[in-house]
Amino acid sequence: MKKRGKGVGSMWYGIGNTGLPNPAAAFVEVLGDGTANLMFGAADIGQGSGTAMAQLAAEALGITYEKVRVTWGDTRVTPDGGATSASRQTLITGNAVLKACEQAKGTLADVAAAYLGCQPEELDFSNNMVTKDGDATVTMTYHTLMAEMKTAGKMAVGAGYYNPTTTTLDPEDMSGIPYEVYSYATTICEVEVDTETGEVDVLKVVSAHDVGQTINQSMVEGQIEGGVVMGQGFVLMEEIEVSDKDGSIKNPIFSKYIIPSNLDVPEIYPILVESEGGPGPFGAKGVGEPALIPIIPAIVAAIEDALDVRFTKLPIFPKDIVAAVKEKETDADNGVLN
Amino acid sequence: MAKEYSVIGKSKVKVDGLEKVLGTTKFASDYSLPDMLYGRVFRSTVPHATVKKLYLEKARALDGVEAVLDYHDIPGKNRFGIIIKDEPCLVDDKIRRYGDALAVVAAKSPEILEEALALIEVDYDEIEPIFTFERALEADAPIIHGTTNIHQVKHLECGNVDEAFKKCDIIIENVYSTHRLSHMFIEPDAGIAYYDDDGLMTVVASTQNPHYDRNEVASLLGLPYNQVRVIQAATGGAFGGKLDISVQCHCALLTYHTRKPVKMVRSRSESTMVSAKRHPMTIEAKTGATRDGMLMAMEVKICSDTGAYASYGPAVITRAMVHCTGPYSIPNVRADATFVYTNNPMSGAFRGFGVPQVAVCHEGQMNALARKIGMDPVEIRIRNAHQIGSKLTTGQILENSVGFIETLEKAREKAAEVLS
Amino acid sequence: MNKISISLNLNGEDRVIDVFPNRRVVDLLREDFKLTSVKEGCSEGECGACTVIFNGDAVTTCCMLAGQADQSTIITLEGLAKNGELDVLQQCFLDEGAVQCGYCTPGMILTAKALLMKNSSPTEEEIKVGMSGNLCRCTGYEKIHAAVKNAVEIYKQKLEQGGESIG
Repeated sequence: MKKRGKGVGSMWYGIGNTGLPNPAAAFVEVLGDGTANLMFGAADIGQGSGTAMAQLAAEALGITYEKVRVTWGDTRVTPDGGATSASRQTLITGNAVLKACEQAKGTLADVAAAYLGCQPEELDFSNNMVTKDGDATVTMTYHTLMAEMKTAGKMAVGAGYYNPTTTTLDPEDMSGIPYEVYSYATTICEVEVDTETGEVDVLKVVSAHDVGQTINQSMVEGQIEGGVVMGQGFVLMEEIEVSDKDGSIKNPIFSKYIIPSNLDVPEIYPILVESEGGPGPFGAKGVGEPALIPIIPAIVAAIEDALDVRFTKLPIFPKDIVAAVKEKETDADNGVLN
Repeated sequence: MAKEYSVIGKSKVKVDGLEKVLGTTKFASDYSLPDMLYGRVFRSTVPHATVKKLYLEKARALDGVEAVLDYHDIPGKNRFGIIIKDEPCLVDDKIRRYGDALAVVAAKSPEILEEALALIEVDYDEIEPIFTFERALEADAPIIHGTTNIHQVKHLECGNVDEAFKKCDIIIENVYSTHRLSHMFIEPDAGIAYYDDDGLMTVVASTQNPHYDRNEVASLLGLPYNQVRVIQAATGGAFGGKLDISVQCHCALLTYHTRKPVKMVRSRSESTMVSAKRHPMTIEAKTGATRDGMLMAMEVKICSDTGAYASYGPAVITRAMVHCTGPYSIPNVRADATFVYTNNPMSGAFRGFGVPQVAVCHEGQMNALARKIGMDPVEIRIRNAHQIGSKLTTGQILENSVGFIETLEKAREKAAEVLS
Repeated sequence: MNKISISLNLNGEDRVIDVFPNRRVVDLLREDFKLTSVKEGCSEGECGACTVIFNGDAVTTCCMLAGQADQSTIITLEGLAKNGELDVLQQCFLDEGAVQCGYCTPGMILTAKALLMKNSSPTEEEIKVGMSGNLCRCTGYEKIHAAVKNAVEIYKQKLEQGGESIG
């Protein structure tokens, strides 16, 4: 028999290393033609930190995205970014990039203000233009600005680093400030369980993530979709088996350690929630790890809902479903529900 | 959104996207240099032993083999590790897991390399291996590192847990367990080391942390940090599995001795066998609430096996503890965690650092509680949710950017629309 | 073992090379022809990263020997863009955000290409089944599907306008 069920899972995730200093840095130089070179340590492992940093720098400097050239992860050229882990690079390297850009922009603003006859703080940098706030007629192109910089013998360079505000946790009770900011998420999913074969089909997944501020919508969705599918594998398909004879891994290859294929993918509805006031760049937090987490308990809950059986042990393979269904049938009046 | 941004929030095409769809992006295994040698590691096939004798002579004598090295050939420090330096580049004192590195070989071709590795032999003095959490803690168990098999113990406490439980209308108790998992990034670990034109030891590698790698390579070779350059190659997925040192140090050591470029590409099995795994956990939880679903107290006990080396174990235990309540305000909490060393595969960083494991527990408890009091699972979460002003178990007050309730409401709304 | 001479058409060019017959095609392409877009992920034909278009079919090359490549026509990702212009599939993968780490991408694009060369208007189910041999650990496949579906639409429009065909 096929039975459907729904489940809810939520999570929170502190961004950055726990109760430890974990700074990252960035360098920027705006060049004579209004393009920019941006350098930072943060390793892009496909999640898109390089792209996010280019977007942050473009927004901060008021130039178009295509004008920013990024270099990352080269210890002779780029400053230390710390690990690409703990969903930390958008918050930490992101803030370092903004600091570097603000420094470069300070010099640019002085020169632009002198040229336009206004105060530096009155200027708006956007779309390769510098304009006096509230007066669109007082404006200059970045191109002109860079020519003025050259005449003045000034350079638009910046370096910045950022370390999130945390404290060491008390060794007695772990009190303290473990993280500067937290991401939150809730996933609701629907599954169909075949009580005879034990197969679980994850049909639909709604996953809402508080990311603070979206930097790149498509990339955030990509993280959420990837996380959902990895979470399916976590609950329903994957397990490393270790030999109790010699401690070796018995299934180190793809034919024995099955990860989800495209045929396993449900309909996924990512929802981006933005929450204001956070310490990150434009309020952004992290989503890389949060993307994986809430789907896991949500699938467990949906299976429980479908079968009216509790599951407290992962993974839940078809044999576990079949066994649970059988146990429930034979033990109907004293079930495993709690 | 407060301000209209021109770039932020937009789905810009990725800066490295074009090369990736063209196939011109260079991953570590795509590098090739003149005079390049191929390197590989000779690994232990027992989990716990001292090395009586390692027979390297035959391999060294093979034509086309340029280096066969063991720990004697390390000029600097033979220990690495992101938090605790407890993992040898090449085993010196003893083997602590199946697959520990005993020797490294560089040869002119992959075929000669294979032949050379087959010529290496080893005599072990085996020690009883420890494969379970329970055995690790027994008084007569052999010790894997230092003086105890306890890797770390943590205690978190706030409020008065025992008093609070007495006042609860409902108590839910369960034991959860989660399993060991592998990242299975599609690109196996790889790297290439060479001296650049300025004589700088350079390592191009698939990695999540090039600056950390640089420091470890420098420490291994006894070089100043600025005499080593690590460049992150395009990295084919990682998820935490490429945070530890993989081929960086082995490659650099071979280049140091041969002065030639050395490339190492792990096979899929080698990659899975020796990279860190997700910590399996057993989590006991007791949750107390009022009849109307307000959380009053929680007690949590976490046990985990961090395997043969610390890797990111200290980060996982700490993060799991801080997150074990879930995103809910609970005034009285007591949590304890114990991680032990065993001779199992090393557990370390994997997307979430212990939070997926504790989420199985805290959400399992919330769903059980909702069912028991007949409350909607979203409603019970909203009732207890973190919001601005909430006090965490660590005493921290949340001051800004807490969008949890909105995720619950938005997810519920969308689910009502699209789920059956 | 003696080397054999094999001839093949590689990305539109006729090539001849002397190789050991047991050399794997993935090595032949990556090492001998320096076509490093062909990726190796599992060495057992499970992950699809080493996929190329072999005589019109998407085939994994890690389990195929050089002898089998004699007299064949092979297209790798290097052979897809024409005169510096991206193939529609490449453009769609780029625009749709279907690329994260990029390691599965060459195999994904070529599998899709082979599929579309045979069936220019596959259904959603046919796309899914056709691409199920290629593993991706980053994206959750959603944006990859979206990219292929977009490409199908664009090819359709091009055909209706009497433009080029997919192959």
